Amino acid sequence: MPFVAPLALLGLLFVPLIIAFYLLKLRRDERRVSSTYLWSQLVHDVEANAPWQRLRRSLLLLLQLLLVIALALLAARPFLERPAGLARDLVLVIDASASMAATDELPTRLEAAKAKALAALDALPTDGKVSLIVAAETARVVANESTDRGRLARAIREIAQTSASGDLTDALKLAGKLAARARGAEVLLVTDAAIAKAPEVRIEAPIRVLTVGRDRANQAIAALAVRSDPSGVTRSVFLRVENYDTREALRRIEILADGTLIDTRELFLDPLSRADIVIDDLPVGTRVVEARLAGPAGTGGAVATGGPAGAEADRLALDDAAWAILPEARLRRILLVGEGNAYLQAALTLLPDVELYGATPADYPKTTGKELFDLVIFDGWLPSELPRKPILAIAPPGTSPLGAVVGTLRDPAIGELDPDEPLLDHVDLTTVHVAAARRITLPGWARTVIPGPGEAPLLYAGEREGLRTAVLAFDLHASDLPLQVAFPVLVANVTGELTGATAEPVGARPPGAPVELPLPPEATGLRVTLPDGKTVDVAPGASGAASVTFAQTSLLGVYRAEPILPPGASPSPGTTATPPPTASPTPSGSPGASPSPGVSPSLPPTPAGPILFAVDLFDPAESNIAPGNGAALEALGGTAAGPGAEAGTTRDEIWLPLLLLALLLLAIEWAVYERDGLLRLRRAARDRLAGLRTAAARGPRRGV
Amino acid sequence: MSAESVRPPLPPGDAATPTEEAASGAPTAPGSRPALLPSAIDPTVFDEGFLRQLERLLLVTKRPVRGGLKGVRRSTKRGISVEFADYRDYALGDDLRQLDWNIYARLERLFIKLFIEEEDVTVHLLLDASASMEIGTPGKLLFGKRAAAALAYVGLASYDRISLAVLQGRVARRFPAIRGKDRIFRVLADLSGVHGAPGPTDLAAAARHYAAQIHARGPLILISDLFDPGAEQAITELAGTRCEVVVLHVLAPDELDPPLAGDLRLLDVETGSGVDITADLATIEAYQRRLAAWQASLENLARRRRAAYVPVDTTLPLAELVFAELRRRGVVAD
Repeated sequence: MPFVAPLALLGLLFVPLIIAFYLLKLRRDERRVSSTYLWSQLVHDVEANAPWQRLRRSLLLLLQLLLVIALALLAARPFLERPAGLARDLVLVIDASASMAATDELPTRLEAAKAKALAALDALPTDGKVSLIVAAETARVVANESTDRGRLARAIREIAQTSASGDLTDALKLAGKLAARARGAEVLLVTDAAIAKAPEVRIEAPIRVLTVGRDRANQAIAALAVRSDPSGVTRSVFLRVENYDTREALRRIEILADGTLIDTRELFLDPLSRADIVIDDLPVGTRVVEARLAGPAGTGGAVATGGPAGAEADRLALDDAAWAILPEARLRRILLVGEGNAYLQAALTLLPDVELYGATPADYPKTTGKELFDLVIFDGWLPSELPRKPILAIAPPGTSPLGAVVGTLRDPAIGELDPDEPLLDHVDLTTVHVAAARRITLPGWARTVIPGPGEAPLLYAGEREGLRTAVLAFDLHASDLPLQVAFPVLVANVTGELTGATAEPVGARPPGAPVELPLPPEATGLRVTLPDGKTVDVAPGASGAASVTFAQTSLLGVYRAEPILPPGASPSPGTTATPPPTASPTPSGSPGASPSPGVSPSLPPTPAGPILFAVDLFDPAESNIAPGNGAALEALGGTAAGPGAEAGTTRDEIWLPLLLLALLLLAIEWAVYERDGLLRLRRAARDRLAGLRTAAARGPRRGV
Repeated sequence: MSAESVRPPLPPGDAATPTEEAASGAPTAPGSRPALLPSAIDPTVFDEGFLRQLERLLLVTKRPVRGGLKGVRRSTKRGISVEFADYRDYALGDDLRQLDWNIYARLERLFIKLFIEEEDVTVHLLLDASASMEIGTPGKLLFGKRAAAALAYVGLASYDRISLAVLQGRVARRFPAIRGKDRIFRVLADLSGVHGAPGPTDLAAAARHYAAQIHARGPLILISDLFDPGAEQAITELAGTRCEVVVLHVLAPDELDPPLAGDLRLLDVETGSGVDITADLATIEAYQRRLAAWQASLENLARRRRAAYVPVDTTLPLAELVFAELRRRGVVAD
């Protein structure tokens, strides 16, 4: 029998040592007794003290020798060899995407996959190296060419379930690159293969697929959205539920508004069908809408009609709940400073939740409560000292911190627009003409939104000293933009960005995707409360940044981000102490300036309230948990093993029986050593039992 | 031989004894007589009631013995007690008061009425004071001394002569025989001076030594642990004196059930010889079987020699020994 550590057999040298100890004269305690008259008659004991008889009789010695031999063998680690079933270099890919949370394999597919992977590693050659990749929304290398089976097993057990969607493409690409480092490497993929289509990747190493999953029973919330009706007064919930099972399903859908159940519907879903539901009249002020897929009323769980009795009809719980965030109804106050611009006033007035105030340049210095406005628009005029507020400057007359005016552009043509520019969303500028514009050098903090001729921008935006700022280089009267459909859309986009209205993410985010969160100017960071109640502090990447990126969105549910304010800062400065603005109505009685001078805004200034966003699965590829065919994945890999892939051997160390033997010997030795005590215990128990029997026998007689 | 070399362990109630002995400067060598110390008497044992009870007891003599002085025991002699024994022909010089005139009236012959003589007997108390008697808790020697004192009082109270002897070495050291209840304190003083003798004791030789000195037969009570190869010989020797032998076999509890465990070397306190044992439950049980067989053989021997064998352990209260155990065995009676 071969040994891993044959040197440990030196431990057998303890055997003669123990025998020598036994042969040596025993050191005995001396006791004085009245007489050894009787003791000396106990001849057999005296005989037992003869060395050779002690050896023959001492069960303890025998047990100790056996124990030493067992321990020495255990330390030498004997093993049996057998041919290995896996390549010497193995890339193990374990799918941890959302569909692996299905419970058709107990407890989950991921746990079954881990068990399968651990079992498969038994066939790894002795000197085999394993790289472990966890495939979720991205591929992550957990262990690289590890030969430590213990660490590897621990790493496999520590793989956590994600709620991300993944199509294994990244993982297989990464596995292919890792496998390419060694000749004869092999990729072992443990997955449920529940993917709509095979990844478009081709690797040279052969792929072996271990599939988990047996059932496809699942119903999912495929979409959840909240829409405002054209009047803007009421909001309705749009919900789509899909049945991915080939059997019918009866489910109940529950809609909760801010945690309160507001509606429930019974849904009968045909096989492989979907159902769309619209629920109207959401309560006013609702921030969070949650949809839950539950079993029909009275059953407490999902029931599959036509399926086996008592079978679970929904194997994946991750997609049975979805959340949607409604934007907070927030009043934005805009101060328009200028000589009067009907187009602009009309466009601003049409915006929802906007209170427009007007002031002429002459009145501007006298205007109080400037800090209460969310946006200040300077139309053709700039004060000497700019307010510490988001600013939209239209045709600035001269050089200012907003940009250096270096000349005038005549009939500037609009340059090539960036299709991803958010300010130009739904804005069509193809028919816009500009007669004259300021030639402004683009400041370092700004990005060009509408490029003009050369380097001169026609509209640029950015964050200046932490304040969102946009500059339109031309007077609106000097172009036909106000007459275009694009104008109100552009005004809405620009004011939305400058007042932070659109910065709050309202749409559902996929799990794992980073989220850009607006940062209030006075906040030092954001404290994000995860759906499981934990909090994460996020600090901005640079000082003065207006937003932070939050990436820990692996959990499904509602995230709540609150600004972290420096000590002493009040969340809503000057809300009560500041007098209302005294801006005059815009000149020439233009219709946009509704409030009269001295009238206080009806809503307090926007406090730095929490920002909510939801992370939802909404991924048919993950919700469709039908186990796929591993052959399609195996076909992505090479077939022939490389020339360096000679068959290895794997070792089965037989430590367990030796360990059990050692423990057994130890237990027997203890029992032999303590046999007197055990014997006394047995006798005491027997006596007590006999006493009880006697008492029981006496009992009825006494009763008679 | 120094008597101080081995002192018996004192029971808790006797803590004052050594102090008082030292204060009075009482010699402790055997043969010398320590000061009478009534306070050394255990009041819980020798209280008034206990003594009254002891007084009612009598050491049983199964056959009449020839004594010396007038006593309460039936003697082999004819005497003047009230109990009729026999008739004999009148001889010249007989006391005419002893003539049975009724017989003379019927038969016209002169007969002298004979009555049983009542004399005292000598009670022999032999206390083994070998070194082995000092081992054990409670101490066997102390127990033996108390038992001897109690039996001596029983004898003294019934006008018997008490002959106390201590067996040590190869000899029996006799104390002067005493008679009379008021001499009990002398017995106690004698006993308090008894200590275990270092070195081996030859019980058979000592018993033989005593047996040779016996002049008056009577009850003979041997108090010993009998841990001696010559114990059986000793009993035989004593039984050969035609005394009514009672063997009070005293053993300590840790000799009946030795609290031993592990590999031990047992040292004989008298001879110093050692025996190596591995004490476990089986060994202890084998010892107990051997002890029981030994006691059975002793009892058998005693029966054959018309002696009484009374095994006691030192935890037995003295009152129970005297009033229950010895009475049950027929050694004492009311």
